[in-house]
Amino acid sequence: MIKPILYAALPLMLAGGATAAFAADPIKIGVTAPLSGSYAAAGIDIVDGGKVAAAKINAAGGVLGRQIVLVPEDDGCDAQMGAQAAQKIADDGVVAVAGSYCSGAALPEVTALHRAGIAYVLDGATNPKLTELGLDTVFRTIGRDDEQGPFAANYIANYLHAKTAAVIDDNTTYSKGLADNTVEALKKDGVNVVYYDAITPGQMDYSAVLSHVASLHPDVIDYTGYFAEAGLIAKQAAALHIKAKMMGGDATNDPTLIKTAGPGAEGWTSTTAPLPQFLSGAKDYVTNYTKAYGKAPGPYSVYEYDAVAVIAQAIADAKSVDPAAITAALHKIKDFPGITGNITFNEKGDRATAVYITIDVKNGEFVAGQKLDADGKWVAVQ
Amino acid sequence: MAAAARFPVAPLVIGALVLAAALPLVSSNYVIDVGLTVVTYAILALGLNIVVGYAGLLDLGYAAFFAIGAYTTALLETLLHLNFWETIPFSMLLAGVSGVIIGFPTLRLRSDYLAIVTLGFGEIVRIIATNLDITGGPNGLYGINPARLFGHDITSPKAVYELGIAFLVVVLVFVIRLGRSRLGRAWTSLREDESAAEAVGVPTLRVKMLAYVMGAVIGGLGGSLFAARFGAIDPTSFTYAQSVTILIIVVLGGRGSLPGVILGAIIVAGLPEALRFIHLWREFAFAIALILLMLVRPQGLWPARLRHIAAPSATAAHAVPEAEPSALVADEAGDVPAPHRGTLLEVRGISRIFGGLRAVSDVSFSVRQGEILSIIGPNGAGKTTVFNCLTGVLQPNEGSILWGGASLVGLAPHRVVALGLARTFQGIRLFDDMTVFENALVGMDHRYRVPLVTEMLALSGARREAGRHYAACRNWLEFVGLADQAGMRAGDLPYGDQRRLEIARALAGQPRLLLLDEPAAGMNPTEKQSLMGLIRRIRDLGTTVLLIEHDMLLVMGVSDRIIVMDRGGVIAEGRPAEIQANPRVIAAYLGTEEDDEDVGALGAVA
Amino acid sequence: MSEFLQLLVAGLTTGSFYALIALGYTMVYGIVRLINFAHGDIFMVGAFLGWTVLSALAAMHMPWGIALLLAVLLAMALTGGIGVVIERFAYQPLLSAPRLSILITALGVSLALENGVLLIYGPGFETYPHLVSTAGFVIGGAQISYVQIGIIFCSLALMAALYLFVHRTFMGTAMRALAVDRDAARLMGIDVERVIQTTFFVGSALAAVAGVMEGLYYTEINFFMGFIVGLRAFTAAVLGGIGNIPGAMAGGLIIGLLEAFSAGYVSSRWTDVIVFAVLIGTLVIKPTGLFGERVVERM
Repeated sequence: MIKPILYAALPLMLAGGATAAFAADPIKIGVTAPLSGSYAAAGIDIVDGGKVAAAKINAAGGVLGRQIVLVPEDDGCDAQMGAQAAQKIADDGVVAVAGSYCSGAALPEVTALHRAGIAYVLDGATNPKLTELGLDTVFRTIGRDDEQGPFAANYIANYLHAKTAAVIDDNTTYSKGLADNTVEALKKDGVNVVYYDAITPGQMDYSAVLSHVASLHPDVIDYTGYFAEAGLIAKQAAALHIKAKMMGGDATNDPTLIKTAGPGAEGWTSTTAPLPQFLSGAKDYVTNYTKAYGKAPGPYSVYEYDAVAVIAQAIADAKSVDPAAITAALHKIKDFPGITGNITFNEKGDRATAVYITIDVKNGEFVAGQKLDADGKWVAVQ
Repeated sequence: MAAAARFPVAPLVIGALVLAAALPLVSSNYVIDVGLTVVTYAILALGLNIVVGYAGLLDLGYAAFFAIGAYTTALLETLLHLNFWETIPFSMLLAGVSGVIIGFPTLRLRSDYLAIVTLGFGEIVRIIATNLDITGGPNGLYGINPARLFGHDITSPKAVYELGIAFLVVVLVFVIRLGRSRLGRAWTSLREDESAAEAVGVPTLRVKMLAYVMGAVIGGLGGSLFAARFGAIDPTSFTYAQSVTILIIVVLGGRGSLPGVILGAIIVAGLPEALRFIHLWREFAFAIALILLMLVRPQGLWPARLRHIAAPSATAAHAVPEAEPSALVADEAGDVPAPHRGTLLEVRGISRIFGGLRAVSDVSFSVRQGEILSIIGPNGAGKTTVFNCLTGVLQPNEGSILWGGASLVGLAPHRVVALGLARTFQGIRLFDDMTVFENALVGMDHRYRVPLVTEMLALSGARREAGRHYAACRNWLEFVGLADQAGMRAGDLPYGDQRRLEIARALAGQPRLLLLDEPAAGMNPTEKQSLMGLIRRIRDLGTTVLLIEHDMLLVMGVSDRIIVMDRGGVIAEGRPAEIQANPRVIAAYLGTEEDDEDVGALGAVA
Repeated sequence: MSEFLQLLVAGLTTGSFYALIALGYTMVYGIVRLINFAHGDIFMVGAFLGWTVLSALAAMHMPWGIALLLAVLLAMALTGGIGVVIERFAYQPLLSAPRLSILITALGVSLALENGVLLIYGPGFETYPHLVSTAGFVIGGAQISYVQIGIIFCSLALMAALYLFVHRTFMGTAMRALAVDRDAARLMGIDVERVIQTTFFVGSALAAVAGVMEGLYYTEINFFMGFIVGLRAFTAAVLGGIGNIPGAMAGGLIIGLLEAFSAGYVSSRWTDVIVFAVLIGTLVIKPTGLFGERVVERM
């Protein structure tokens, strides 16, 4: 007597999609991130951050009386895999997507999800171009490279009072974009950029580049790449007795830097969006994440948490799981209290106000540094 | 013929393509997207297959051509506002030109060195794209328009997929035609034995270059398609890992096998998708699967079949007018009548030194039109070195070699063959994995006059020429007694037959002078007897014969004149009877211990 | 002047690593004519094994000196063993198959090692303890650390030892015989399989030393670290003339110096272009590399 029931359910299953589903079915939110290859660590951290958000929402009764379930898909940090991952979750019937890490993979994902009419809240891809394509389904909880660059330049010019700076990137989309924006802002702020070049990540030895940079006597050396190379650069600069102030962008904000560079990391400064541990609203998050996964949350997981949370809010506002309605509701979100601060999207889908701080390495750990107050003055982060 | 046992691949492939084209009717966009990736990889792998599968060269930087095609389309569309279709010729042209650039410095390198040079080239292209502003640096290029057809943008996954299938069909037809052309045959000979190919008249440098160019052109086309599909490109799509993936497809599928390459693309692009659910384990599982598949099927999953061009039947071959050897060889090769006793080749004082050792020292002799001239001498006397100097394999350090008054010194072996000197080898150098018939056809390579385009389009001129050549080859095989074995794999022939096939391959080049290097080695007395008859028949056709041989019965029985070499120099020259009576010759032979057999033979005849 | 000297030392240090790894490429190629694309990852495995041993011994409060020595020796033995196992199961069955098949297998092994380590140790970074001091001295304005000198000398000593092993021992002679003609060597009663396995063992063990040294000097290790270093070492082996031991040494140091001087005097973003252009240029002029012998083919 099982068969008739199966047959009865078949048309519903074939019809698929959210509309035909039972009310008790969970709502699917897609997560695109690199889950294999070199960037898998970051991707897994992102998915875990999203899961913490989903668990919290579900524990509070879910949205529209339904549970939220995440559908993670591996984009391998690759354009082709990214396109397929986006298409796959779109076909899976997700109502919105929160994810991304590599801008190279995010771009085809943005296009594919726009075609499917599904909102995509970026949590990790910081390339400005992603929200400049004129696609109304793209949102972003993290700041853009062209906002962080001026912040870093301001710090160099007005806090460090440096006259000369060397900027080094690693020739990836993120790093080059940040470096370009930093150099541009430094010139505006009257800092002389004496060196601007790229290194090859994975090469291990950067003492040749550093020797050359040292011969130019910059006050500041700013590395806009990732933490792994930043650790080596800090260590090797110390071994060469380079006196310049060492600093980096938000991708250098990782404890591995300190472990790699050891004493050489002392005095390193990273510009970053506020880390969970420096966010007053994120205390619970850090606790929950650490309890669930036995490790501290990485820098991008908070943005994924907020991306999932803001999507849930949009679903509640729209009172619908229709992707178009969710997109429309996301545009109307105003001052949603995320753990990374209040979230409002501008017309491009970016955060209306991006917040950055600096953090410094002191006695082998990152501690809060400086931030800009409302008057544009540098003040210590409390 | 093995034709009856052939597996019906063609209908299978056509059926598969039709099914593939119909895929959008039943599949979700996701499956279509994966399908499009498979199609992209199949196109690229078919291009790389020309280099790796057909020509047997290694290329670890193939993604460079893919990149060049993609960037050309992207730049022309965004800067000059050309449409997709207008950019394609430029993509292919630019990729082709870079094929020449990569081909040129690598032509003389051994295959393992090719690995790093091509890898380096691929990296150089990627780094240039990453570093330059015009290519958008690491961001790449955005806003590439989709292809337009009949007033519609091809943007939906299904439409782009069908466009990809159309491209795949065009590429497939192109590579099939190419594989069957004389160029395809030359590539196979190159893959089997490069120096032998050069020595029987294949211009190996140019043929290698063409392999890179043809492969590059297809890579460029694949790049254009890729750019139009994504609307944005950046350098991370064109890494060394991408080149390796394409190479894996070709080798895993089966080098040189078109269905194999497509199967490889389905597996390499499809398997990781199928394994998505195991996340971190995915690439590990793929790696293990790859190792196991290679261990189980080292030749690939669907290995290439033997190149198979059917030889025409005897009656058909005889019906073709002017098909040798019934017609006089001299017809095409020159205007000197056979019995004329003029000098064909003149060797004046050549020497060849190997690191202080004078292997050949001040050797002079001349070869007269229409004679059978033998060079004999103990092992190490320098006979083969003389041959190698005559045929361009080695360059003499001193002296001159004149062919009809013009110097042969400094010419590449294939140029020497084109002038009318063909040779066989002391150690047999056949193209083992080609049929007997195709082996002989390679010997005719330099005689093709019809341009490749004509041949690819199967125009009547090309068909007529091919018909003539097939008939001639068939007749040459019959001439040496191998007509019935035409469809066999050359490597499977018995030893004596392999020797005769080498002679047929040399004769197919219509030489005026045939150089035979120890043709009787390893033959039994009956075979030697028939070889003697064959040599005489060759001479009777008007082809002059220069023979190196240890077998004195054969030499004495067949030669008009004999040159004796010892320790790099000529010690005697004359008719057989004179040589047998020459005390210096006898001394030379008695003085060498390892040639007891020869001494005995000499004595027996004397 | 001080910058020149500084670049020279930096180049020689990285060059020493490349040279040590290049030896493995060159030995294997010389004997079985295989470009062992997994060799860079063998180096990575060596670094991880050394780290594991060192961490375990540190947890047992063993003095650093002994722990380090044990770590190096164990890493060498284990990595060498892995090299032999790879040869036995992945390469040996294919030694008589088409050359490309074994090349693809090597690529498969490379991918398997990377992802195997990723599965065991995770995709992040591990860091060696900071055991070596950055202390040093100043010469001509250049800051040179004792470790750099140590690395350069350690590599040179290992290379010299290998050279003596290949030229003075029976096994070495057997290796050279195999390199010339495997079949002839077999007919002369040489246990070909054992010689090949020894070659893999020695090459892998040397890579392990390089791996542990790399870990100690640079501290951070990652499953992907073998890729770029392996690529540079392979380039070095070919530049020097693949199959030739002094060639691998020279090639490694030349690549290291090229890298340093192009980063210092030209631009570090063009380093790889310069390195590969020099390689291609060298091969055009001398098709078998700087020290490779010309191969004359018999017809």
